[in-house]
Order: sequence, then structure tokens, then C-alpha cells
Amino acid sequence: MRRQIMLFAAFTLVVAACSSAPTGPLPDAPTPTTLDELNTMITTGDQPTVVNVWASWCLPCRSEAPLLAQATRVSPDVEFIALNVRDTEQNAREFMAEFYSEADMTHLSDRPGRIPIEMGATAGVPITFFYAADGQLVKMHLGIIDEPTLARFLDEIDR
Amino acid sequence: MEFSLLGAAAIGVFGFWIMIRWEAKRGNAAGCAVDIWDTGLVAAIAGLFIGRIVSMIQTGVNPLTEPLQIMLVRSGVSTVAVVIGTLLVFSFLARNALVAAADGIAPAALMGLAGWYAGCLATGSCLGAESSLPWAVALPGSQITRHPVEIYAAIGMALASIALALWKQYGRPAPGSVAGLALLSASIIRLGTEPLRISLAGGPMLLYSAGVVAGAAMFVASIVSKRRTTKESTG
Repeated sequence: MRRQIMLFAAFTLVVAACSSAPTGPLPDAPTPTTLDELNTMITTGDQPTVVNVWASWCLPCRSEAPLLAQATRVSPDVEFIALNVRDTEQNAREFMAEFYSEADMTHLSDRPGRIPIEMGATAGVPITFFYAADGQLVKMHLGIIDEPTLARFLDEIDR
Repeated sequence: MEFSLLGAAAIGVFGFWIMIRWEAKRGNAAGCAVDIWDTGLVAAIAGLFIGRIVSMIQTGVNPLTEPLQIMLVRSGVSTVAVVIGTLLVFSFLARNALVAAADGIAPAALMGLAGWYAGCLATGSCLGAESSLPWAVALPGSQITRHPVEIYAAIGMALASIALALWKQYGRPAPGSVAGLALLSASIIRLGTEPLRISLAGGPMLLYSAGVVAGAAMFVASIVSKRRTTKESTG
């Protein structure tokens, strides 16, 4: 029994060592935007676009963020927009430092969280919108996105 | 709240249960003291959470500071860790009759995997790479037709499961050979379907290749062992 407790303690220490607390200066705060500005970005660019709606207090958002950061690296032809909603500036910056420090994304904010609703989604987060290069909405995914779904819809819009 | 992943898991467990029930009437795992239903289920659940924890560590999320995230299985699990974790937990729980328990659970495990893959119908994630074959399917509103790759895997696993169960019933296989063939066939099916899947980082091909080698080695070793035993008893 004592040996098992020691083993558990050692395992706990090893896992605790895997902490990913952000270090260094925080990134700039996400830029406030409106629905019109966002739509212009989606429709005027010649790239397919992924818009991920997130908040730092949202556990599923924290959970899917590493996957989205990975997606930005493997899909350079796709424009990724991270839209922060109903959040404080400080918390948003800490979240960005923790998950998106090496991700090539455009960071926008909508403090009241009205834009996703005006885009046809619910008030909940996370939400991920996939747009083709011509600006047409291909898929609106509500809730956590998993790797196969993200990969499939990236393949669908990135043509 | 989204429950489709739970639905896929339920279909997998149902497949596992159906095959255990079907085989139970035919003397599955005769003489094996291990309850393969309980052991299999516990091993699978433990393996799933091991895989989730490993995936969190790989993506830089600390399981101790964010313990609730362990429940968010949808965010990703490490396939390698799930497989290794499940096998280790199963081996530990069935350590007193490992070979008999492994043979006993093998067809049911394959049917459980078949159910899990067929569960893509619940999660809406059956489609893979682009294809122009007559049975290729397009996503709603899309012009691009794709391989229903998870259905291929489900059919392959189900056929392998039924073949192994029938072989166990009629063929008097050597102890360990059913488990070896199950591992071999599951690995071959995964290896064969992997190129048709779409993923960000690619599947763990090394793990599947290791599964082919390990399954083939188990099968050959069980046959050799049976022959040796037969020779010794007749000689």
C-alpha cells in the first residue's frame, strides 16, 4: 500500500511538471469588431476562412484551442479568425498567450457577444464557422470540434 | 450539449455485448475464470481516460490544474495511449488466465470496434478522402463525394469478428491464436483504411504496423506451442 502511494505521488509530480503556464509578455488584446467588418473580411479575401468563437471562461474552448492552433500550422491557405466574446481583456490575453502564441490567426473581440447570434448561431460557445473562398458558409459547428470533423471541413473549404 | 459521441460509444458497447451473448451460448472462453464482459468494459473505460490524459499532456493542458477537462473526451484522445492502456489494464485484470481471457474477448472486442466505427452515423463523421466510386457520399450541401471510410472499417471489423467466432466454435484453434488473429486483423483494417481518412497530423501508422507484427507473432507462437504440446503428449 505504501509503495502504491509513493508511486501515485511520483506520477502526480510528473503530471504536474507538464504544466503549461504562459510565460513572457502577454499578446495585444483582440481588436473589437462588428458583424459588417467580419463579413467584409470573410467575403473580400480570396482564401477560405474559419471563424472560431471562444471565451476564456469556456472549458470546451480551452480544450479545443490546441487543435485549432495545430490547424493553423497545417492549413496555411486558410485564414483563421478567433472571435473572443463576453470576456475580459486580461483573461482573453492570457488565453491567447497560453494557446495561440505560435498560431497564425486574426484575433477579434465582440464583448457583448451579439455577432455569433446575428450570424445565426446560439449564444453558447464554442462555435466554429467554415467559409469557402467565395465567402459562402459551408458549415456552422456548435460545441467542441474534434480532430476528424475539423480536418474534414478544412478539406471541404480548402479547394 | 452534444451526445453523439456517447451514442457512438453505446453502439460500440452494444456490439461488444451482442457478440459476448452470442458466444456465451457456444461455450466462449470455456474454463476461463475471468468475467470477460466486466474485464473488457473496465479495461476499455480505463484505456479511454488514459488516452485522454495523455492527449491533454501532449497539447499542453495540465490534467491536475484542469481536471474537469478529462471528461471532455471529444477534444481528443491519444489513440496510441488508449490501445496500450486498454491492453495493459486488461492484462492486469485477467492476469490469472490471460490467454484464455484474450481468446474469449477477441471476437467481442472486434465487434465492439465495429460498433464504434459504425457510430460515425451518430456523430456524422463517416466520410474521408474524396472519391468518385459509385457508393461515395457527399456532405450535406457539398459537391465533393467521399469514401465512407468508417463504414469500411466497421464492415471489416464485423466480418473479422464473425469469422473468428465461427473459427472458435468449429475449428479448435490453438490457445492464443484467436487473440493473435484478432490483433492482426484489426491492425490490417486500420492500416488499410488510414490512407482514406482525413486528419491534421496523420494516424499512428507505427502503432498499427506494430499491431500487425505482434498479432502475427502471437498467432505463429500459439500454433508452434500447440504442435509442441501435441507432439510431447503423443510421443
